Amino acid sequence: MNKAMEHSREHTLSSAATLRIVKKVIRYTLIYALLILIALLMTGPFLWLLSVSLMPGRNVFSNPPAILPTFIDFANYAQVWNYMNFPRYIMNTVMITAMGVVANIILSCMTAYPLALFRFKGRDTVFAILIATMIIPSATAMIVHYLTIQWLHLGNTYLGVVLPAAVSVFNIFLMRQTFLSIPSEIRDSGKMDGASELRIWWQLVLPLVKPGIAVILLLEVMAFWNNFLWPIVVLDDPEKYPLAAALTYLNGQFSYNFGWIAAGTIISVIPIIVVFLFTQRYYMEGLAGAVKG
Amino acid sequence: MTRWMRTETFAAWAFMAPGLLIVAVFVLWPILYGIPLSLTDYSVIGETHYVGFENYVTAMHDRSFLTSLWNSLVYVLIVPCIQIISILMAILVNTRLPLIKAFRAAYYVPVVTSMVAVALMWSWLFSSNGVVNYILMQLGVIQEQVGWLSTSSTALYALMFITLWKGLGYYMVLYLAGLQSIPSELYEAAMIDGANRGQMIWRITIPLLRPHILFCTLISLMGAIRVFDEMFVLTKGGPGNATLTSSLYIYQKGLEQFNFGYASALGLIVSVIIGALSIVVFRLNRKGGVQTYS
Repeated sequence: MNKAMEHSREHTLSSAATLRIVKKVIRYTLIYALLILIALLMTGPFLWLLSVSLMPGRNVFSNPPAILPTFIDFANYAQVWNYMNFPRYIMNTVMITAMGVVANIILSCMTAYPLALFRFKGRDTVFAILIATMIIPSATAMIVHYLTIQWLHLGNTYLGVVLPAAVSVFNIFLMRQTFLSIPSEIRDSGKMDGASELRIWWQLVLPLVKPGIAVILLLEVMAFWNNFLWPIVVLDDPEKYPLAAALTYLNGQFSYNFGWIAAGTIISVIPIIVVFLFTQRYYMEGLAGAVKG
Repeated sequence: MTRWMRTETFAAWAFMAPGLLIVAVFVLWPILYGIPLSLTDYSVIGETHYVGFENYVTAMHDRSFLTSLWNSLVYVLIVPCIQIISILMAILVNTRLPLIKAFRAAYYVPVVTSMVAVALMWSWLFSSNGVVNYILMQLGVIQEQVGWLSTSSTALYALMFITLWKGLGYYMVLYLAGLQSIPSELYEAAMIDGANRGQMIWRITIPLLRPHILFCTLISLMGAIRVFDEMFVLTKGGPGNATLTSSLYIYQKGLEQFNFGYASALGLIVSVIIGALSIVVFRLNRKGGVQTYS
């Protein structure tokens, strides 16, 4: 009898365990099904565009739609590359992006540094004014920027493209938050050794705020790389356009040649996706940390 | 070097000077200069006159402007949708399952690509014989093809969908950060007390996410009212004025028709509306639609 009881207990135990495992499997299957469904929704359009660009002659509007290409031919890429002078547009984009990113990093690190770590008269006033500009955004900023750039005779120049976005209040806040985490002893020790304020900033403090700098770097690379409207407004010469602006131009010229436009779009999108995939760890952590503050 | 130049105050202002100069010229000046500009008839041609509040009176009778304001307000409907969907997505990816980082990255891809590329893509997907119609007809949701972007009644909603689709990954990451800052002991305690999953989300997750919800609501609200790129690339405000939003209308008045004075007046009206809505969001958040026991 004892043996029988033990046996039945074992049996219920094992069936409970099986039930738990089955439940777990179902749960994970559901979770992964949902994850894949959303992934398809978010990246499916890009894959479809890639297919369109790789299958010249295939109708964009063919049904059923092709998420994966049935054959691969780079003719669209070769043709649009010859037609559009892509190296030039890529160079333009790289120039604008580099200027904008460097300016943003240097200026936001410089402006935020005293706001976080110095004691001086007017600090709270400066800070309050900066906050106010974020609460009352100007809906007409672009018009006044246009007038200012004309007045400075910077129309049709890259400086004119970059200057209005050379530093953003958001980046200043972000860096201030990062600087606040630095103990004041660091600056004191530098002073004790007789270093100038500039050297303390450059050699002692900046190496400690690299995560903050990385976030600004990535945010601004994306912002400048993808910016198209302001460059169109400032630059009279389409030869100076960055990629995104040139793409709107291509679309206007060849709205019927889907393969070319798809190929051009893929060319413009790939660099930024590659940059993102390689830096996403810093980016996601940094962005998350920046907002926490 | 004088004694004053060695003080901290001097050093502080020296560090801030270049950045503050740019902020003054390109952030502060547009806000301030817009006010006097809105009281003139400044444009590229002809002399400039002071016209008092004429621009504002004109705006109140400008049907296109009123339509654009209405469309911008309709666009705000995406703000709650963004919060709900991106919070659910953040909860879904807040695990340590294999490949989860790849999924997070995949959801973020639309965020990093330019609106020009995204808009071109969706203009094909949304066309009458495009993929969206094909899928919806296969699923039996619709009976015949719909020109989503060329029909007045659907164009604005189609654009809202594109904005939503492109932004979800960004807000998901912000909410994910919020979720990961919630101590797991709270959930363990709730589990011991016999709380179910829904209760835990409603009683623990949402209240503790409130600072993040406030932040994300504010930035998505400002983004929604100032939405521009989508309609600029895809519809230019059409068909009719169906997708004309206030930012697009201000751009057309200012930088296409060079009617700077009038555009400034419109801009100020929109800024006041954004400010008012931001205050409403702050208030709602403080009173709390959600109960907390802190």
